[in-house]
This record gives sequence, C-alpha cells and structure tokens, in this order.
Amino acid sequence: MGVATHTRGPGAWSRARQRFFRHEPADGERLILRHSRIYILPSRRGWTMLGTLAIMLLTSVNYALSLGFAVTFLLGGLVAAALLHAFRNLAGIEIRPLAASETFAGGRIAFTLSLSGGERTREAVELRAVGAEPVVADVAGGTAVTLRIERPAPTRGRLALGRVTLSSTQPLGLWHAWSYVHFPLAGIVYPEPEPGAPPLPRGAHGQDLTAPGQGEESEFAGLRDYHPGDPPQRVAWKAVARGAGWYTKEFDGAGGGGPVTLDWTILPSALDVETRLARLTAWVLAAERAARPFALRVPGGMLPVANDRNHRRAALTMLAMFPAEDAV
Amino acid sequence: MNAISGPARNAGRAASASLGVVQIRWLGALLVCAQLPQAPHLPLWIAAFGLLLVGLRLALLRRDRLRPDAPPARIPSWTLVLFAIAAALAVRASYGYLLGRDPSVAFLFILVGIKFLETRTVRDGTLLVALASFLLVTPFFRSQSPFAALAALPALLVLGATLDALARTPASRLARTPAEALRRTARMTFQGIPIAAVLFVLFPRIATPLWGVPAEAGAQSGLADTMAPGSISELSLSDAVAFRVDFDGVVPLPAQRYWRGPVLGRFDGREWSLMPRPGLGKLAPWTPTGISYAVTLEPHGKPWLFALDLPASLPRPHGDAADARAENYAFLTPDQQLIAHTPITQVLRYTQLSVLRQSYLPADPDEGRDYLRLPARTNPRTLALGRELRASNEGDRAVVDAAIAWFRAAPFVYTLTPPLLDRDPVDEFLFETRRGFCEHYAGAFAMMMRAAGIPARVVTGYQGGEVNPQGLYLIVRQSDAHAWTEVLVDGAWRRIDPTAVVAPSRIELGLSRAVAAGEPVPLFARLDGGWLKNAQLTFDALNHAWRRHLVGFNRDRQRELWRDLAIDRYAGWQIAAIAGALGLAWAAILLAATGVARARREREQALWHEACKRLASAGLPRLAHEGPIAYAARASRRWPQFAIAFVAIAESYAALRYGPPPARPGEREALVATLARAVDVLPPPGELRTAAA
Repeated sequence: MGVATHTRGPGAWSRARQRFFRHEPADGERLILRHSRIYILPSRRGWTMLGTLAIMLLTSVNYALSLGFAVTFLLGGLVAAALLHAFRNLAGIEIRPLAASETFAGGRIAFTLSLSGGERTREAVELRAVGAEPVVADVAGGTAVTLRIERPAPTRGRLALGRVTLSSTQPLGLWHAWSYVHFPLAGIVYPEPEPGAPPLPRGAHGQDLTAPGQGEESEFAGLRDYHPGDPPQRVAWKAVARGAGWYTKEFDGAGGGGPVTLDWTILPSALDVETRLARLTAWVLAAERAARPFALRVPGGMLPVANDRNHRRAALTMLAMFPAEDAV
Repeated sequence: MNAISGPARNAGRAASASLGVVQIRWLGALLVCAQLPQAPHLPLWIAAFGLLLVGLRLALLRRDRLRPDAPPARIPSWTLVLFAIAAALAVRASYGYLLGRDPSVAFLFILVGIKFLETRTVRDGTLLVALASFLLVTPFFRSQSPFAALAALPALLVLGATLDALARTPASRLARTPAEALRRTARMTFQGIPIAAVLFVLFPRIATPLWGVPAEAGAQSGLADTMAPGSISELSLSDAVAFRVDFDGVVPLPAQRYWRGPVLGRFDGREWSLMPRPGLGKLAPWTPTGISYAVTLEPHGKPWLFALDLPASLPRPHGDAADARAENYAFLTPDQQLIAHTPITQVLRYTQLSVLRQSYLPADPDEGRDYLRLPARTNPRTLALGRELRASNEGDRAVVDAAIAWFRAAPFVYTLTPPLLDRDPVDEFLFETRRGFCEHYAGAFAMMMRAAGIPARVVTGYQGGEVNPQGLYLIVRQSDAHAWTEVLVDGAWRRIDPTAVVAPSRIELGLSRAVAAGEPVPLFARLDGGWLKNAQLTFDALNHAWRRHLVGFNRDRQRELWRDLAIDRYAGWQIAAIAGALGLAWAAILLAATGVARARREREQALWHEACKRLASAGLPRLAHEGPIAYAARASRRWPQFAIAFVAIAESYAALRYGPPPARPGEREALVATLARAVDVLPPPGELRTAAA
C-alpha cells in the first residue's frame, strides 16, 4: 500500500512500468481485455516447434527441396495462425471483480471474479495470482463464469488480491498469451483468536456475569447457512461429510448475560499488541457465542454496545486494521 | 517477478503431466502418417520395423484399456537404449555407413518408434511432434513429385490435431471429436496459407548448398562418364524423364534431335571413357537457321548439360539477364561438350542456342592424333578389317563410306537384349553375334575407324524425344539415351551414326519401332498406348508444370519472379520488410474477418460516447465516478425538458452494458435501437446551452 505514490510519480519509467506490468490496482469495476494489454510469447512447446521449423528450413535450403520449403512454410503458417487464435482467445474477455471474503489469520481469502467472453467460446483461460493456486476454466459463448481464487492469509490486515494474470495457451499450446489485470479487490483478515483465551471480563456495570465465557460450554442452538469466513471449528463437519451441505453451528450463550465492554486498557500491560488483538478477537467471538452485546474500545477507536452480525464484523475489522506494533 | 516465473512454472507443470489415451492415439496416428510417405524409400526391414514399433505401442495401449486392473505395460528405459544401439548398428550394416543422409533418415525412422514406446509425459509428446515434423521433409530427398506432396498432407493435418490434443488440459472440459479437431486444424492451416505463400516467394533461395554436397545425389540415373557394351541398353529400360524442352518456334525433326552429352575419346578395348583435354572449345557461329530453346533438366548428379548438336551458346540459367554469368556457370570443352561447374543436383532450367549441323569447324591439325590410339593385342580381327578398308580405298572419305557400306551389308540386328560379350568384345560383336544396341554399333564403328587411321570418338547423349501435344514441349526420357560416332575427315569432325545405318527407324520413329516386338521397351517409350498413352502425356504435362514452377523454384526462378513483381531491385532488408508488412496485413484481415461481431457489440459504446460528448460540450461533463443513471439524473435536473431522452439513453445503455444477457433474440437489437433514437432526439450542444440559460 505504501507504493501508492508510485503511480502518481511523473516518471515516464514508472508510468511505462505500470502500463506494461500493472503493479498498481488501476482497473475499475469491469474490464474488457483489449489488444494493447495482451502479451504473447512462444510457450516451451512453441519454442520447440520454432526450432524444428528452423532445422527443416536449413535442410530444405541445403538440399534445395522446394517441397521442403513448402511444407516448412505451411507449418509456419499454421503456427502464425495459432498466434492469432491465441490472441483472439483472450481479446474481448470481460472480467468483473465480484467479491473478496473475510477470514481469520491462518485461513484463506477467496476472491471471486466473473469472466465472460461474448459470443465466442474461450478455452482454458487460466487465472493466477501471487500465492494462489491457478484456476483454469472454459468460458462458453454467451455465458459468464464465476471463478474463485484463494489466497492464504497468514497475517491480519487487508489482503489485496493483487495483480492477476489471465493466460491461455490455446488453441495449439504453441503460444502463451497473457494479460495483467489489477483490481482494487481486498479481503479483511481478522486476527487469529487467541487459543485458550481467558473468559470474558466482567460486565461494565459490575454485575457478576454468570456466563462461563468459553464457547465449549455454550449450548448448541442450531444450524445456519455457512458463510465464507466462519471459523472452521464451527462448521458442521458431519453435515459436510454426509454431503448435506455447508452449515455453521450456532450456540446460545448459556445463561446469557448483560453487555460487556472489551477494553484494550484492562488487558495486562505485559501483553504485546498482537496478543492483545488476539485476545480481544477471541472475546468478540466468545461474546457472540454467548449472545452477549459488547462494546469494543481500542486506542483510537470505539464501538458502542450492540450484538448483531454487522457489529461483530465491524469489531473484527477494527481489530484487523489496528496499526501494527511499530506504528503505535 | 510473476511475469517471469509464471509461464515457466506453468510449462514445468504441464511438462510433467502424463499423457492421456486420446493424446497417445493422436501421437500414434501422427507417427504413422509421417512414416508412411518415407517408408517406400527405405529398406523393407527398416520400414516394417519402424511402423511395427508404433503399432506395438498402440496395441499395448489397447490391452491396458481392456484390462484396466492389470498393471500398465511398461518397457524399461534401458532396453530402449539397447534397442536404439541395435537399430543404429543394423542401419550401419544395411547402408555400410551411418553418418550420411539416408542412414540418418532410416535411423530417425526407427528412433521415433522407439521413443513412442516409452512416451509417457506431455513433454515426450512434444518431442515426438518435433521429430514427426522433420520426417515430413525427408521423403523429398528422394522424390518431389505431386504424389510426394499429397502424401505429406495427411500428416500436416494430423500434426495440428495432435498439438491441439496435447494442449488439452484436464481442467478444460470442452471435448472435441477427432473430426472436429481435424476440421479446426484444417481451417487454421488454410488461414496460414497466405503466410506460407509469401514466405515461399520471398524467402531467399541460394545457389549452392550450405554444407557439403550430398554424396547420395549421384544415385539418380543418367549417362555416365564411361560406356561399355550394355551400359546404355540398361539405361534404356528406364521410363524416367531426363529433361524436357520448350522450343521457341518449330520443333526440329526427330532425325535432327541429337542431344549431345559426354564425349568419350579413350578406349581400352572394351570400355570407352572421357579423355579430358586442356583448353576451351569454340562455339559454333550463329546462323539464321539456329534454334533457341529452354531445357528443364532433371538432376542427375553429374555436371553434363545437354544441347542439340551443335551448341551455339553457353547455357544460360533461366531468368538470368546478365550474360556474364553464363561463363561462370558452364563451359565448353574442346570436344564440344557442355559442362557445368557443379554437378546437377536440383532441377535446372536453362536457355540454349544451337545450330543444327552434322559437321564442325575446322579442327586443329594435331587434334586427330589423340583420337587414333588403340590398345594393342585386343580385337585383332577388327584391327585387320580397319587396315583392309584403308588399303582398298583412296582417301578418308571413301574409307568412311566403305565402313558404312560394310555395316549396311552385314546382317546386324538392333536389339535391347544383346548376348553377353566376353574377350575382344568388338570382334565378337562384329563377326559373331551381330546383335547389339547403339553402344555396340558406335563403339565398334569408332574402333574400326581408328584401325583404319581415321581419328574417331564416341558421343553419348539422347536422340529423339517425344513431343507432348498437351503442352507442346519435348519429353526426353532415359529410354532415348543413345551413342553415336564422330570422325575427323578432311580437317573437320563429322557425325556418323552407325545405328541409323542398321536400324533407321530408331532415329526416325524412336526406340519402340526400331526393336522387335517382345523386347523389353519401357511402357511409356512405346508410341501405341492408346488412351493410356494419352493419360500419361496429360499427366506428364502437369508434371512438367509442377517441376517448372514449384519444384524448380530455385534462386534463378525466384529472381525471375521478383523481376516480374518489380521487387528485384530491393535489398534483403527491404524484402524482409515487405514480408513483414504482408504478414501484418494478413493478421489484420484475419482478425477483422473474425471480429465483425465485436464491432456490432461496440455500437452502443459509440452512441453513449456521442451523448456524453454532446452534454460535455454543453457544459455538463460526466464525472469520472459517475455511472450512466446518476449522470442522466444530473442532466435531467439541469434540463428537465429532455429528461425522458436522458433517462432512455442511460437505461438502455446500462441494460446493454451491465444488464444480464438478453433472454430473447432481438431484445438486444431493440435496446440498441432505443438508444440510437434517444441519442437522435438529443438537441445539439448549442441548443442545450441556450436552453439552460
């Protein structure tokens, strides 16, 4: 993120770099690949074929084989036509960034993009982002395909999709055509909840909260649909294994309780920033499980008491985006 | 960083992928298609072995598929290495050497089969495709006939389909039937033909090979530099075309068509051979009765060039304007023989002038001595006959006439199947067997002359030829090979053809009329073939055109074509630039032809830009973040009287651009029409400005 000044720099070099390599997220909501941003080079097989053609040409030259020339050049024409088709396979593809999921540090963020190719069928288009498994799909004519790129999210904060490389070697595998797209698509990585965190603190007004605080002791309340980003330990794995679909287990806080304030300042001063964030995250989840409204107070930020889903997300996002230790 | 590692990683991953059944089948089909045109040119066992290996792999594949639970058939790699070594040794034993063109092709032929046996990964498949591509060229070493070209076509199509199959990733689900894959490749090959044509015409041909002249080039049939009894009659068994001639004007009579080739002056009692003499010969002076013609000579691996007796010019490679180059190309020996500086290893077309006459310019006074030598103690009876002729006649001319009369009187039989001659072959022929072919008569007559003290030599070449009415040109075949004699009488060389004395019809009507029925005359040398002969002549006319325009497209023909296209004065880089420009034009046309749909899709974009431009010049530019609906709302607040148009434009445009794909046919066109109408009713910017005021 710190390189944002880079694009605004007047240097012709950095502008050219951006134009050719798309290091900055400069693409908007929706993009149609034009010829100016499609690059083509021979693939490894393409180089092999070009080398073979060179040998065939040398042979024809030396032995003055007119038909040798003819066959070599016919194959050359095929290779050239393959180049145009490889170009056409990418040109005019429409890409829309759809969404980025949320997760806890250590999980994976899924970015979804939609591809459509107009009337023509686009074959074996590969999407690749840094650190993500490449995804390959055919886009049949007149349809749109939604593709999911998953990137591991090791640390909290924003995780941008970064530059995506769209590529294809179709139709004959001789040419590698690719294009860079860079959407401002980013997911939020929440801090990883502290394992074995202490129970929720007491209520703000001094009531002794009877809630045990630990999720394990809460009572199972029911299932709801799985949303990307739900913690894995709450996924109803048995249902998944049965093939019944993806559900997330919901718990009632046994005994309930009043609102609680999760305050940065009440944490032991020996803890470093990341541990505090991890503990607060664990508490947010515990409060949610216990169905207790909570307020969150961190240096430079404050969330009033509430207990709905948006509140939880806002709290987790606040923790995720908390400045790193050296910045405090 | 990603740009560099991305494709490389991708390729590495693809290379390690193993081949599917469909891919292996395509590879097998490709190898068979590439091997078959080559097979007839190989020893039988090599052809059979190479094809068998490919068949073996396909059979194993079938077995694996029939019994999926059994472990897949695997042949350990080290056995394949042994295989390859054994194959190399066997090829060496068969050819006598390994490092040469033909044994290398034979080895490659087997090698692809061996490689196919152990092919498992996509990377192996790529290698096989490369080897098979090379096998497409190798049959042309032997034959560049139209059939050879046709035989290469299936492999060309299957090659594209195989590449297509190799490029299929498991993730791509769009399955393709073989017919579809072939159609697709055929279409792409077809689209590539303009590029191939441009390269064929513009890629510079060179006159001399890059590396050593292929040693095997001498394997073609043709006249040799020696003549022994039997050598020409053996050649006469061949139907192969020696050369074809296009005459400027009238075709000379058969009896005048003596195509002069190697002149043999040395005689060892049995065999006539070349007798090189220093210096250059003098060309016959040009007379109004001279003729001009173009010879398309088949490669024969020797430096001889053929011209009608007598050559009046040096051969000029076709299409070459510069006279100076003719001397660089060929020369005339003192015995009136045309010799090229390099052996003829490719089809050559040259123009030639000749003066039709039977005697030469006055010879050097001492020239005759070299043509009198005879080996001692051979053919004693012929020697005696010569001396007797000399003794009983006054003057050289009378001696020659007496010898001719002697030949006419004796009961000679002209035949393609003369009896074998042992010691003193001339004696045996003249006095015992008296059955012979032209080389017997020419050789015996020349010896007889020498014995009589008259300088004589044997000239080999071709006599006659057949006019093809389909193309009005002359076909001269190996079966027209001939030998005659020249004698030095009264200070000038004269042509004497003893065969014409014995069998006049050979000279007037050709070989098939001259020999008795039942002789092994080649099929196409017979004149009375009926429809078959006609078909053959038509085919030969096509073949002649094929050889002249395609196979014979060498450096000279290329220069000629460039001159016709008016590009011969350009430098190499300019020609390359022309090729590049044509390539770009081809790409543009191909993309445009397939991109019409895109243009239609972009019509709404153009209309929307038009509307935005009008509003902007009326003082209300669209903000960068503003979508069509919001922009239309802003414009409607400014000019409420046009709100309907604004909203119609914005909504139809938004529906076209961002909406779901149309459900019914024609819906899209209707939306575009709405958009166009709405933009149409939008007033011009000036009117808008005043309306706002």
